[in-house]
Amino acid sequence: MIMPKGQQQLLLPARPSFIVVTLALALALDMLPLGRLSWTPSWSLLLLVFWGLHQPQRVGMVTAFVVGLCIDVHQSVLLGLHAMVYCAVMYGVSLAQRRLQWFGSGWQALQLLPLFAAAQLLELLLRILLGGIFPGWWLLLAPLLEALLWPLVSWLLLAPQRRPPLQDDNRPL
Amino acid sequence: MPQASNVQGSAPPLFRQGASALSQWLLCSALALFLMVADARFHVTEPLRQGVAALLYPLQWLVQHPSRWIHEALAHTQSLQEAQQQLQEAQQKMTAVTVAAGEGAYLQRENDELRQLLELRARLQTPGRAAQVLYDSADPYTRRVVIDGGQLAGVQPGSPVVDAAGVLGQVTRVYPLLSEVTLLIDRDQAIPVLNVRTGARSVAYGEPTASYGGGMELRFTPGNADVEPGDLLTTSGVDGLYPPGLPVARVVHVERRADSTFARIYCTPVAQVYGARHVMVLSPPDTAALPPRPPAPEAPLLRSRGRP
Repeated sequence: MIMPKGQQQLLLPARPSFIVVTLALALALDMLPLGRLSWTPSWSLLLLVFWGLHQPQRVGMVTAFVVGLCIDVHQSVLLGLHAMVYCAVMYGVSLAQRRLQWFGSGWQALQLLPLFAAAQLLELLLRILLGGIFPGWWLLLAPLLEALLWPLVSWLLLAPQRRPPLQDDNRPL
Repeated sequence: MPQASNVQGSAPPLFRQGASALSQWLLCSALALFLMVADARFHVTEPLRQGVAALLYPLQWLVQHPSRWIHEALAHTQSLQEAQQQLQEAQQKMTAVTVAAGEGAYLQRENDELRQLLELRARLQTPGRAAQVLYDSADPYTRRVVIDGGQLAGVQPGSPVVDAAGVLGQVTRVYPLLSEVTLLIDRDQAIPVLNVRTGARSVAYGEPTASYGGGMELRFTPGNADVEPGDLLTTSGVDGLYPPGLPVARVVHVERRADSTFARIYCTPVAQVYGARHVMVLSPPDTAALPPRPPAPEAPLLRSRGRP
């Protein structure tokens, strides 16, 4: 059995309800009233990338669009701005998805860092074009934090899909 | 013969995959672009925004509470002495305000009588309602705060918002239970002001990244205009929205350059734009009570002005 390098065992299928709950949780984390900070990682982006990578059949462009709209409404910016950014990120994920699955989460984080940075820069570009102010260089910390959080998030979110240690040696699957 | 075409190249799909990622992306981006244009230019997406906001409200309400608890816990540990001191200060301030309010009521009556004598239009009353700032908007590209009280409480978009010291901003978006206030220091915000010392009227614009720690700028003021650091700017009332006489900002620095017709004047808002908790939402005046707007100049007039 050819297994991806980081993965020791076959994973159980992810439950759709679990995906929905985690996405809602990420939205809630993004809505925490922490004030006007430019460096906070975008949890919904992180979760979208994660599910886009591991469950591409379930979470794709449409989900990204809807989550983006929610963020737009919450921050009350032009409708469709974050939707556009997240869709672009999902396209990037769909291009790299087959390759990324062969790496452990640490290497995945390293390869996703440019994607997160590109998302941040795309948002910055759109916002400056639409007449926003430059929020300061701290915003470059956000993609870095997202990449640092990636191994932790993947470990946590894949936990329900891992099965308990095998009892039956004769039937390894 | 359907098989023949398959032999030539395109194999029948083994699994249903839907549209390709690229076409999906292009479609979604086009839709997002359409939404952005519809929102910015035609203002037709408001029902969609209100619907999503209503769906998100339970989530927002849930996450607000932990941070409020933390704030309250921190405030609880504040020492008794400090609290007493604050109480004393507040009482002193209230005494001063009471005196001013008594004088104000007297002056108001006198003013009303004089206006009646002179047959001038009566001054408009501006009722208001108290509100609390819930949190700063998470968006670092703008300067906005969210207050409690929305459509259900009768908040109208465009209402001026003031805090204890002066004008804080303006309600720009109203949700059923929350409203969003754009602060004076937001780049898109402008307010007509009056220099109390000289009586000159001008317009102050928000500029959060301006130097001298300001946050506001008086634009299009001639280089030789009489403006000095320390001047107090109040609302002029000519806009028909802000009631006249509310403190807005103080001039902190004036830069007069030889190469420019206009002076650069940096101001700082009087209101606590970074830490206001309790604010007052004033109702915008009834447009029926305002004098009618002068008719717009007609096209031939403009054309004749265009000629040298």
